[in-house]
Amino acid sequence: MKINITATVESISQAEKLLEAGVDTLYFGGKTFGLRLPYNFSLEEQQALTELSHRFGKKVTIAVNGLMHPEKMAQLPEYLSFLEGIQADAVAVGDPGVIHVIRRDNLQLPFIYDGHTMVTSARQMNFWYKRGAIGSVVAREVPYLELKEMKNKLLGFGEILVYGATCIHQSKRPLLENYFNFVESEARDTTRESDLFLSEPKKVETHYSIYEDEHGTHIFATNDLNLMEHLDKLADLNFLHWKLEGLYTPGDNFVEIAKQFVEAREALEQGRWSEDLAQELSKNVSSLHPDKRALDTGFFLMSPEEVK
Amino acid sequence: MGIVKKQLKRPEVLAPAGTLEKLKIAIHYGADAVYIGGDAYGLRSRAGNFSFEEMSEGVAFAKKHGAKVYVAANMVTHEHDEEGAGEFFRRLRDIGINAVIISDPALIEICAMDAPGLPIHLSTQSSATNVETLEFWKNEGLERVVLAREVSMEEIKTMRAHTDVEIEAFIHGAMCISYSGRCTLSNHMSKRDANRGGCCQSCRWKYDLYEVPFAGKRHSLTDEFDKDEPFSMSAVDMSMIEYIPELIENGVDSFKIEGRMKSIHYVSTVANVYKAAVNSYMEDPENYICKQEWIDELWKVAQRELSTGFYFSTPSENEQLFGERRKIPSYSFIGEVLSYDEKTKIATVRQRNHFSVGDDIEFYGPGFQHFEQTVDVMWNDEGESIDRAPNPMMVLTMPVVQPVSVGDMIRKKK
Repeated sequence: MKINITATVESISQAEKLLEAGVDTLYFGGKTFGLRLPYNFSLEEQQALTELSHRFGKKVTIAVNGLMHPEKMAQLPEYLSFLEGIQADAVAVGDPGVIHVIRRDNLQLPFIYDGHTMVTSARQMNFWYKRGAIGSVVAREVPYLELKEMKNKLLGFGEILVYGATCIHQSKRPLLENYFNFVESEARDTTRESDLFLSEPKKVETHYSIYEDEHGTHIFATNDLNLMEHLDKLADLNFLHWKLEGLYTPGDNFVEIAKQFVEAREALEQGRWSEDLAQELSKNVSSLHPDKRALDTGFFLMSPEEVK
Repeated sequence: MGIVKKQLKRPEVLAPAGTLEKLKIAIHYGADAVYIGGDAYGLRSRAGNFSFEEMSEGVAFAKKHGAKVYVAANMVTHEHDEEGAGEFFRRLRDIGINAVIISDPALIEICAMDAPGLPIHLSTQSSATNVETLEFWKNEGLERVVLAREVSMEEIKTMRAHTDVEIEAFIHGAMCISYSGRCTLSNHMSKRDANRGGCCQSCRWKYDLYEVPFAGKRHSLTDEFDKDEPFSMSAVDMSMIEYIPELIENGVDSFKIEGRMKSIHYVSTVANVYKAAVNSYMEDPENYICKQEWIDELWKVAQRELSTGFYFSTPSENEQLFGERRKIPSYSFIGEVLSYDEKTKIATVRQRNHFSVGDDIEFYGPGFQHFEQTVDVMWNDEGESIDRAPNPMMVLTMPVVQPVSVGDMIRKKK
């Protein structure tokens, strides 16, 4: 059993720490083509990160997973050639148009299908594997019992988010800007750094982070995900590609969280996994998680009947 | 040398049909095609969905009138949801359904393998926004792609120049505020799967907007603004009636009207208007003008304000439902014509909503036939003079000032 941990990256120095911590794949990109990334890396930086990871004998996956309008599509072939040139190990793709370009231009660029909400069954994932995808990113809304059903059906790997924020809405509209324009004249910061969130008036516990970028407006689930205590279940089902997403977990804390998952992976690979260890590591993750954000297991433990 | 006239392709007017009755009315009122839902694999669990028997009847009716019937099967399946889909698609094909509208690649594959010969249209749920995506799906054998509602007119023009796959675009009705399909607000807020028919329109709810908790306390922004307005994500509706030439010239093959949950009144009115506009343009493009009466007519069935969506710019706050709603004059659908006696100029009418003597009412029919009159007198089915028509579906007679036809509709201002 070989478990692969993919982690997002916010800086070159963090990338080094993540690689030293034992992460297998760095996940990053630029804002033009990538969705909801912790940092917008220039081409030079993307090349530097790729070379850095390869020096460690590790891999990179580059985010090309936006819904592409023609303006972006026009710039895409050049970018994909660049990624091929720097020997990116894979790209994450959410728009079939990108797959079309990879094939058309005969690029040596493995891709992972990352259609977000639209990846919810083994048969769908196999559709993309048959069209060349090496893996696909399972939607956050798929519970464990459904993953169990997928076991032994998949022709490629299924990547599972085990830590981080869950996007639950993407609008092309600038929803915050529109709102601020309506309620007052002055423009406000609507970027992720402004840390805005929505709450349902009658449910004060709800906390939906919201921000805008050139792909539109993004809204996130109340709680971030932490599946630490269920990693053995994923391993049993042969879901061995885990993703750590640090959009709202900056700096060294994210590196420390990655270390907890690396420790868990080693315990599983070496047969040292125990519930006690899982709980301890999970507790560590919680204490390293930003104070203003909470964690839960999302849809993982829900019954498939619960959400229809 | 004369100017070579560009060959214009007549676009299809595609109307929603939540029920068999709406299907027939939509076609009677000019729809070239309708889309319906089956008992399974759809996204509108609350819309009237069709049994196979109803589909057969609908297809027979459509064929007689030279129209097409598409079935929306645009659910995003989870494990096991896809079971039986092959049989379902074969059944649709054998019934004579003209195409299915799908977004889920698993269902696309099943349909292509198990029901060869049944054309597939990519649903707007897949958010197709570029020509490379269109080509991808064309190479998969799809006949048509329904574009994402986020695509602009300019982008359609560019796409059309680089692909021959059929393009369908929404031209009228309600809009998702998100990229369709890329929203699981309902899943997370109400445990209902938006992509499996459970959307509870959480986007149209009211929210408070906060900055990060500062010193342990949430800081509400909603409270500090001059205007007392909660955050919401509710979009106004779309109407492209004023841009029919642009849509045709830029090669949109099918004009899609939203609203499988909408009324007979809505479906008949909207199909009628767009068909009249398309006919008018196709007959004489050079002298075409968008008639004010078409625009007025669409406002009679509008539920929200109308805009042009993403066609010409990114929607601003004016295309969201903030603040006081502008009062839209609302009309109620009060009856339909069952028969007309030319000699006596008396119409037999089935009541669909109450009305009274003295009311100003409006008759409309296919081909954009219209006139208004006041109800001076009416009789019940026993020939007794009545002042009011209070009973649902009651049959009555009344004199009319212009000839009417079976299937004409009657409305009045509320």
